[in-house]
Amino acid sequence: MTSTRYASPSYNGKIKAKAFRYIQILLCTLLTIGCVFPLIWLVDFSLVKANELFGKNFLVWPKKPHWENYYLALTDGKVPQYLVNSVIVTFVSVGLIVLLSVMMSYGFTRMKWKMSKVFLNIVLLGFMIPIHATLLSNFITFSRLNIQDSPIALIIPYVAFNLPQATFIMTGFMDTIPNAIEESALMDGCGIIRLLFTIVFPVLKPAIMTVIITSFINVWNEFIMAATYLTSDRFRTLPFSIYNFAGMYSSNYSAQFAVMTLSALPSLVAYVILNKHITKGIAAGAVKG
Amino acid sequence: MDKIRRNKFVIFFLVFPGLLVFTFAVLYPIFMSAFYGMTDWKGIGEFNIVGFENYRKVIFEDKVFRTSLLNAAALAFFTVFIQHPIAMFFAIITDKIGGKLESFFRAVFFIPCVISIVVTSKMWVNVLNANYGLLNKFLEAINLKFLKQDWLGHKDIALFSVIFVIMWQGFGYAYLIYYSGIKGIPEELLEAGRIDGANSWQQFIKITLPMLKPVILVNVSIAITASLKQMEPIYLMTNGGPGTRTQFVANYLYMLAFNAQKYGYANAIAVVFVIVCLITTVVVQNIFKSKD
Repeated sequence: MTSTRYASPSYNGKIKAKAFRYIQILLCTLLTIGCVFPLIWLVDFSLVKANELFGKNFLVWPKKPHWENYYLALTDGKVPQYLVNSVIVTFVSVGLIVLLSVMMSYGFTRMKWKMSKVFLNIVLLGFMIPIHATLLSNFITFSRLNIQDSPIALIIPYVAFNLPQATFIMTGFMDTIPNAIEESALMDGCGIIRLLFTIVFPVLKPAIMTVIITSFINVWNEFIMAATYLTSDRFRTLPFSIYNFAGMYSSNYSAQFAVMTLSALPSLVAYVILNKHITKGIAAGAVKG
Repeated sequence: MDKIRRNKFVIFFLVFPGLLVFTFAVLYPIFMSAFYGMTDWKGIGEFNIVGFENYRKVIFEDKVFRTSLLNAAALAFFTVFIQHPIAMFFAIITDKIGGKLESFFRAVFFIPCVISIVVTSKMWVNVLNANYGLLNKFLEAINLKFLKQDWLGHKDIALFSVIFVIMWQGFGYAYLIYYSGIKGIPEELLEAGRIDGANSWQQFIKITLPMLKPVILVNVSIAITASLKQMEPIYLMTNGGPGTRTQFVANYLYMLAFNAQKYGYANAIAVVFVIVCLITTVVVQNIFKSKD
């Protein structure tokens, strides 16, 4: 008697726990659909004729995929050229962000000078300044200096606007690591540049990873500065190409969707490969920011 | 050794390049805007100094500027009270699911965040399109035809559509921050709660929520300042329309400068905008600091 009385609630409990688990998985699956379905829809309709979009179905089976949409994207959409531009701008910007933020953070946290806190706070002020408030003035400045419509016009502001967060992450990390190794290296007469490259950089690796990831996502996807500071086609980056192409082929939705799919692909692939690092890096960067 | 740490040349070498770039592209333009804001410049040609007239107009007379701030407030409100509870809820249940499924869901929820805003915005323009959009087709399919709308064109609905898209795009960030907060709660605490006979709801109220407080504060303050700074989705989806129903400050000043040739006035808005952002950040931080 007693044993069944005790057994039954725990049996019920087990069923309940299982039911809960299925409900949880079901809810997550629904959210997954919410996150991904519009993207699947996009890819789907990039593979069919443009007018199929006006049909009744919300997904169509592309019996014979219309690859000519992608052909159009690659030729008239100039996706390869924009991709190269994006890669160059992103590579240079992220490299500079890492280099400059490590140097600055070392200067702010390890060097001994009176104004270090003041200057650090000035840089951190950048967190609060909206990019868009600088667009008008920078547009004029860049054209006066004749650097508008060149990759430099993107790289400079990209670096500048990512420095506050990068510096914040780096200084936060530097504060947590002991400087005994640096001390002894300096005692042995190691110069500051060699110290940075042989000792500081390796120690900062996790923080550098975070900075690379957050600034990569920011720079790779940046649109409004690219649309403002560049006036000719030559240096345009991927996000702008979609905007441009949508204007050119305003009624050819499938071709537009093909360009969008191709533009989304590189960062999506990078995300799938690096997903663990990215989620960790973003979470660390955001919580510290 | 201390000599090197105090060496002015070394300090200069380390700090100057970064400061130079930052000053040139972030600080200097704000000061230049403050100056341009005192002119009637059209972006080309000659201009006159008009003093603080532009600033006065922005602060006291400009209705569109006010609408833009209200829209940002609406976005912040919906983000904090709708997106965040959902994000927190899913952070908790994915944590409970565990194993490979947990990593899978976590990875998928973040996908919209890694895709360019241009792609997602243009995608949603198509999803929300009145004629061929996915949403209207879906409503038709489930016999809710009467709900069909011109989602981005209707004057009373457009703002909510825009807010929805921004919340959809940013969901992964909010989720991930809560998720990493939940991962930081020591398992023993929850275990102790269970042993004391707390059910899921009690556990959430008594343990999870208080432990998450710092993370919630960070997340909410990010949401508020980010709402103020929204531009790209608006620029790409509605450009502020219909009328000024979905206007946001950044998009408004951009339109004025580059489409309406009111360059001087737009710069005045830019400066006021920076000040509003600074004040908001400081106020939010202080409120949260006193609560912490």
